[in-house]
Amino acid sequence: MHRDEIPPGTLYLLILKTLARSGEMHGYEIANAIQRTSDDVLQVEEGSLYPALQRMLIKGWVRAHWGVTPGNRRARYYQLTAAGRTQLELELSQFERVIGAITRVIQMA
Amino acid sequence: MGWLSELGRRLWMLWHGRQFDADLEEEIRLHLELREQDQMQAGLPPTEARHRALRQFGNEMSLREKSHMEWGWQWLEHLLQDVNYGLRAMLRSPGITLVALLSLALGIGANTAIFSLIDAVMLRSLPVKEPARLVLVGDGSDCCVSDYFPNQILYSYPFYREMQKKNQVFSDFAAVFSMMSRVHGSVEGRTEAEPLNVQLVSGTYFSTLGVQAYAGRTLTDEDDRIPDGNPVAVVSYRWWTRSLARDPSVLNRKVKIGSTIYTIVGVGPREFFGTKVGESPDLWISLSMQKELPPYFDGYGNNLIESLYLIGRLKSAVNMTEATANANLVYQQILHGFPDAPLNQENLEKLKATRIELTRMATGLSELRTHFSEPLKILLVIVALVLLIACANIANLLLARSTARARELAVRQALGAGRARLIRQLLTESLVLALAGGAMGLAFEAGASHLLLRLASIGADPLALDVSMNARLFFFALGVTVVTALLFGTIPAFCATKVQLTESLKEGRGITGAGAKSSLARSLVVTQIAFSMLLLVGAGLFLHSLVNLTSVDAGFNREHVLRLQTDATSLGYKEGVRLTQLYQQVEERVRALPGVRAASYSLFTFNEGSWNNPVSVEGYVSADSHRDVHHNVVGIDYFAVMGIPLSAGRGFRPQDTATSPKVAVISETMARTMFPPGSPVGHRYSRGSDKDIEVIGVVGDVKVNSLQEAPQPVDYYPYPQQAQMLNDFEVRYSGSLDAVISAVRKGIHDVDPHLPISNVTTLNEQVGRSIADQRLVAQLSTFFGLLAVFLSCIGIYGVMSYVVTKRTNEIGIRMALGAQRTGVLWIVLREILMLTATGVAIGVPIALAADRLVSNMLFGLKPGDPITLVCATSVLLVVATIAGYLPARRASRVDPMVALRYE
Repeated sequence: MHRDEIPPGTLYLLILKTLARSGEMHGYEIANAIQRTSDDVLQVEEGSLYPALQRMLIKGWVRAHWGVTPGNRRARYYQLTAAGRTQLELELSQFERVIGAITRVIQMA
Repeated sequence: MGWLSELGRRLWMLWHGRQFDADLEEEIRLHLELREQDQMQAGLPPTEARHRALRQFGNEMSLREKSHMEWGWQWLEHLLQDVNYGLRAMLRSPGITLVALLSLALGIGANTAIFSLIDAVMLRSLPVKEPARLVLVGDGSDCCVSDYFPNQILYSYPFYREMQKKNQVFSDFAAVFSMMSRVHGSVEGRTEAEPLNVQLVSGTYFSTLGVQAYAGRTLTDEDDRIPDGNPVAVVSYRWWTRSLARDPSVLNRKVKIGSTIYTIVGVGPREFFGTKVGESPDLWISLSMQKELPPYFDGYGNNLIESLYLIGRLKSAVNMTEATANANLVYQQILHGFPDAPLNQENLEKLKATRIELTRMATGLSELRTHFSEPLKILLVIVALVLLIACANIANLLLARSTARARELAVRQALGAGRARLIRQLLTESLVLALAGGAMGLAFEAGASHLLLRLASIGADPLALDVSMNARLFFFALGVTVVTALLFGTIPAFCATKVQLTESLKEGRGITGAGAKSSLARSLVVTQIAFSMLLLVGAGLFLHSLVNLTSVDAGFNREHVLRLQTDATSLGYKEGVRLTQLYQQVEERVRALPGVRAASYSLFTFNEGSWNNPVSVEGYVSADSHRDVHHNVVGIDYFAVMGIPLSAGRGFRPQDTATSPKVAVISETMARTMFPPGSPVGHRYSRGSDKDIEVIGVVGDVKVNSLQEAPQPVDYYPYPQQAQMLNDFEVRYSGSLDAVISAVRKGIHDVDPHLPISNVTTLNEQVGRSIADQRLVAQLSTFFGLLAVFLSCIGIYGVMSYVVTKRTNEIGIRMALGAQRTGVLWIVLREILMLTATGVAIGVPIALAADRLVSNMLFGLKPGDPITLVCATSVLLVVATIAGYLPARRASRVDPMVALRYE
């Protein structure tokens, strides 16, 4: 099955949105959730999730704590912070502005 | 605040780096295992599932690194690695490191020490409020007491009060006596008198400077209103510490000076030393007390006795041009307005043409600046050159080491290290070296700057300058260190990383680029020699000039003269018969001591300032009539003590008393230039209101204030005829100085047991101090010149050793083909001589040009003094040969068989 690379710069948006929807998740769950919700169209190079999560930790958009998975494994769970929510709104409106503009350009043709 | 908490998180990460790595690894492992399980549940065989999980994840190593990098600390981690590596590299070759560190420490320390003096003397602002708004009326180029009209530098007390009232440009206005009074006084309750430095100031002095008392209060304008009315004093923090051991009840204590008892009303702030850099008063007393304070100046109410510097604080909207214009306007008004101003036609014209200047005094007043600005600048250039020479040495050492490390660097480049990364690493190593040297330099600086202070002291007291570490000094040292590291590190770093990979890896020896490197090393050595030449020539000139100065005939015999000061004024003696009797009794008592040839009081001896004004000779006017004559007031024995020859007439006698006709002895220059031809003995002249002074004798010319000066007109008066406080006491002695000193002390105290004695020294020493600035430059430039030569020798030795090692092969072949040992020796020595000659050839024109810049520091020398040039050249040639001889001999001992097998 063919999968599309996600557009550059939208990874943060995807993670933020996913976390906003589902409360707290660990890395593997986030990766799966993105794939599933996009009906397997969006392909995240799964590893690249982790540098992005690190950056979001530094920025204070998410916080992390160690918890236990249903399969009784230790896992690091991520969860949105207030700053993260604000960031999500910011990125969303920016994304919509860009997509809107692109759509308009395409439809002009 | 967002960035702050972000920084907090970053720091947390820096602190918990290990845990971070472990966490990330666990997270990734979990991810991979979960994915693998999922794939297996989807029906894939285990190996395939594992592969797919890995593939989907991406490059784990690089992702981990990327995660790590997100925290933004890799620069620091690299830096720490480099520093660590640099330290290990330093420890691997301890000999080289030690030489490098020592020369750096010496270089950086010397630079910082000289700079600390420059900072204290020239750069540092006074510790007062807004020093930039303080201006001095006039340029402060003269001092003491004057009756010159119209005076642009010193002002009278009434003038100060008038200007304070009339000016429109200063928000505050103060006056300070133009010299410090060195007196003796005693803290109430103690019998022992101690020397005190008293600064007379106006009551507005502290408020104008914006200085608050540390304890108690400062002086106020009220303290300065009634003549002799308000005996109060503010003491300095230093004196409070030194003499009162910071007694908390200081405000109840009193100090007796002369016959007046002063109440201490306040202690100045710790850092406050007044307004004159290099002096530090113990007490500040208001100008209204001047008639009660030795030496009893009486200028408080006199319009025309000028003794004050005036200091104003500019109003906030006023600039210098406006202030100058207003000050000049007020100046003219005041001087025209004094009813007793000598406004004859000549003076009116002089006054009309007079314009006063305002001088910014953010950095305070200073005589030191005139003495030492130029020497200090010269010294800073000298030590900077020494540091450059040291840098060239270290660059050479690093260059040699980088050759040895060529393989290591090539391997690292082959493994993918970027050249920039390698250069950064090498520069970090240099920086580590420089910082270590700089730290040692700072330790060295602390001692050196105090030594400098002692060397630079012109007067009897060491200079009161604060040369301790401060922020400016620290940043100077740091700046010098970093620049040094760049200077000696850059070239080797670039050379070392420019390697042909394959060549270097193929072959351990015969490194490519070695030729270019050794020619670079050679040019560094040539530069060192050129700089050394410059420094040696400088040192030679200053030394030669100093020798010329010390051999100047001062006109008096400076050997075997003890001199000291007594302070009769502090005991309450006033000018008059009692004082004259005291002088005579002391002279008589001391003259009778064994080992004493002659003894005399005088107003001055040498380099102690002067009392001067013009005189008029009855019935004769010459071209030199307007010249100032330096006056001295002396005892009968003075000429015998000083060894000044009498060339006509007679000296003073006991018969020259207060009531006998007034007499004077004059100097040959005065006789020749201001009197009619023929013997001046018997002629009369007048000085101000003193008329009918008869010339009774002529003595040889003497130097008055400096050894460099041209012959001056000088006249001498006997002290019974001239009411003057005399403090200088001179004794011509034979035998042991120490024995004479204690005998003389005892003799003086036999006459008056309380008479304070201070500044005990010899005339020779006093003359020596007058050339302290020249001596300082000569000694230090010689020291640094020799240091430069020594450093260059290390450079020559290092480079030649390197060259010889590289050419072992060639030398071996030459010897196998029949070359003699002496021939080989000569090959190497010839190269050393060539390098030295080139360096000298470059150094000479630079030295000649620099010579012209310092010519006014030199005495009795023509520019381009050939003796100095020849000496410097020979010194360099000799020591260069010595330095190069060891490697040359090693070359000549090469065993051809060994050398050839070695390849």
